[in-house]
Amino acid sequence: MDLGLRLTAAATAVLLPVLPLGLRLADLQVLRHGALKSRAAGEFDRVAEEAAPRADILDREGRVLARSVPNWSCFVDKAMVKDPAAFGAQLAPLLGVRASEIARKAAEPGRFAWLKTGLSSEAADEIRAARVDGAGLAPAQQRVYPNGDLARGVLGLVGAESRGLAGLEFALEKRLRGTPRRLEVMRDGAGRTIYKSVSDGGLTPEPVRLTLDRSVQYLAEEALREGGERRAFKSGIIAVQDPRDGEILAMASWPPTPLNDPLVQDAFEPGSTFKVVTALSALDERLVRPDETFFGERGRWEVAPRVVITDHEGQGNMTLAQILEKSSNIGIAKVVDRVGAARFLRMCRTLGFGAKTGVPLPGETAGEVKTVPELTKVSLAAASYGYGVQASPLQVLGAYSAIANGGTLWEPKLVLDGQAPVRVRRIASEAAVLELREILEGVAERGTATNAKIPGYRVAGKTGTARRIDPLTRKYSTSAYNASFVGFLPASAPRWTILVVLNEPKGAYYGGLTAAPIFAALGRRLLALEAIPPDAPADPALATARR
Amino acid sequence: MIDGRTGLGFGWAARFAGAGALVLFLCWEHVQATRLGYRVESVRREAAERRGRVAALRLDMERRLSPSEVSARAARLGMIPADPDALRRLSRAPARAAGPLERLFSLRPARVAASRS
Repeated sequence: MDLGLRLTAAATAVLLPVLPLGLRLADLQVLRHGALKSRAAGEFDRVAEEAAPRADILDREGRVLARSVPNWSCFVDKAMVKDPAAFGAQLAPLLGVRASEIARKAAEPGRFAWLKTGLSSEAADEIRAARVDGAGLAPAQQRVYPNGDLARGVLGLVGAESRGLAGLEFALEKRLRGTPRRLEVMRDGAGRTIYKSVSDGGLTPEPVRLTLDRSVQYLAEEALREGGERRAFKSGIIAVQDPRDGEILAMASWPPTPLNDPLVQDAFEPGSTFKVVTALSALDERLVRPDETFFGERGRWEVAPRVVITDHEGQGNMTLAQILEKSSNIGIAKVVDRVGAARFLRMCRTLGFGAKTGVPLPGETAGEVKTVPELTKVSLAAASYGYGVQASPLQVLGAYSAIANGGTLWEPKLVLDGQAPVRVRRIASEAAVLELREILEGVAERGTATNAKIPGYRVAGKTGTARRIDPLTRKYSTSAYNASFVGFLPASAPRWTILVVLNEPKGAYYGGLTAAPIFAALGRRLLALEAIPPDAPADPALATARR
Repeated sequence: MIDGRTGLGFGWAARFAGAGALVLFLCWEHVQATRLGYRVESVRREAAERRGRVAALRLDMERRLSPSEVSARAARLGMIPADPDALRRLSRAPARAAGPLERLFSLRPARVAASRS
């Protein structure tokens, strides 16, 4: 037999048994390829989701106000638990939960139950090492606020599925929430994962930086908390704005709650802090001369038949400055009578009342300002001292910031997004605004707000005290008040506009006695924080304070 | 004649060897891909875990630096809030031509110092 024939025979002898295998392979790999591939994919291939953590919320200096951290949740697969009591006893020291509680959950009907959420990586490692049959771990994200309740009214809260439910967490949901990264993986026979590829890179959201200053926010909350804890008032709010560009530096409320933000969601009757609207209108239209006086009617004036306006102190003749210093309702009602409903209403609108400010918080109220036909002589008089109008605290703050900065109304800014501050409008002539600023300095210097004074510094502002509506009788209460003070400092070059509103203060209820001291306490801390030198170094009170 | 048949036989053997080598290479590649898949998955998990630990540590740091914590610690040490008039922000050096080092240091925030005891 020649060599070629022998080689062919040998090859045939070797390859012939392989032929059925080849045919089988061809059947599997070619004829049934598609069906088998999809079956294998169904059994082994998986798409794993890697959750994108919710974006951080930072203050203006980049300090963390809210952050999501990965943690673990422990669950039980009850089908794998043979002895619930032993299962509970094994897990109890690891979870810090009573063994009986774990055993009860493991014995309940159904196959799955959570045992504990919010476990740290270390705790998860210990549970893994213990190898307890039936106990499993699932990754989760926890929203953490490292400063406790600081700014919680603004920040809001998130729900179980990391979705914003209130505050900025809700309003900025789209910016804060990322999309998960999707990975194609395989599972081997032992259930272990084998990475294949990234099918969707997902989106990790960028941190959101707010205009809030953590230190200012803390000082504001502290100033409010001191009174709140000794029950000096039922509830209260403080807001701090930079009048130079409208950036909100602090928004605090007492008692603190993440569910609502009374600074933007609640409207209140601003009381005498609203007198600046009439005053500015009169000054801008040059309807009142600085030396012109209005008779105070000795504290009681019948503005219309059977409608009497009273002052807390009887006054004689008063200039516009004295009307504001003494916070005379009669005086300002006489001024608004000259200003007229149309001009008064125009100034209300110009200062931003009756319209939403545009702050990115949910549920903002626009407040309410009556129309010209609705403003009768009586209601116009009442509106001049802040009754019959509804304003949000943020609107009042914005209006005073416009006065503080020389006449520019800024849109309140809460998120630092790289955009320039939005200038809404000019509120009045510079001369009128500067004159009003001087008058407001006089209010703190010798008027109703002497408690707002800070030795060595010029302070300007206005007190307000308004009766609250009794929800039962729907009439003005004779015992419940809103006390407020809104002002700015240092008055020579204002850096902060501060609004303090206290609901139902106990005992003394005038804004000058209750809210103004809180303004002064916060103002002192802010001046120290920024090391602002005195702008009234000749103030005798400064020398006394230095001793 | 024999040479020609032998040549045909070697040719086939070489083709089989080549095909076998290709199959072996593909098997090796698959095994390597699987091995790397395990490794990538393991590293991915480790990285995620470490990211979590870093986040937790940073959070702990933020907690310790929160104003209420710092304030409480300061109070324990007997410190009290400063009066507004007690602090002065030192003015920066007058602007003039400066070298790179001076420019670098001039970027530091203005220092705050007590002006009186």
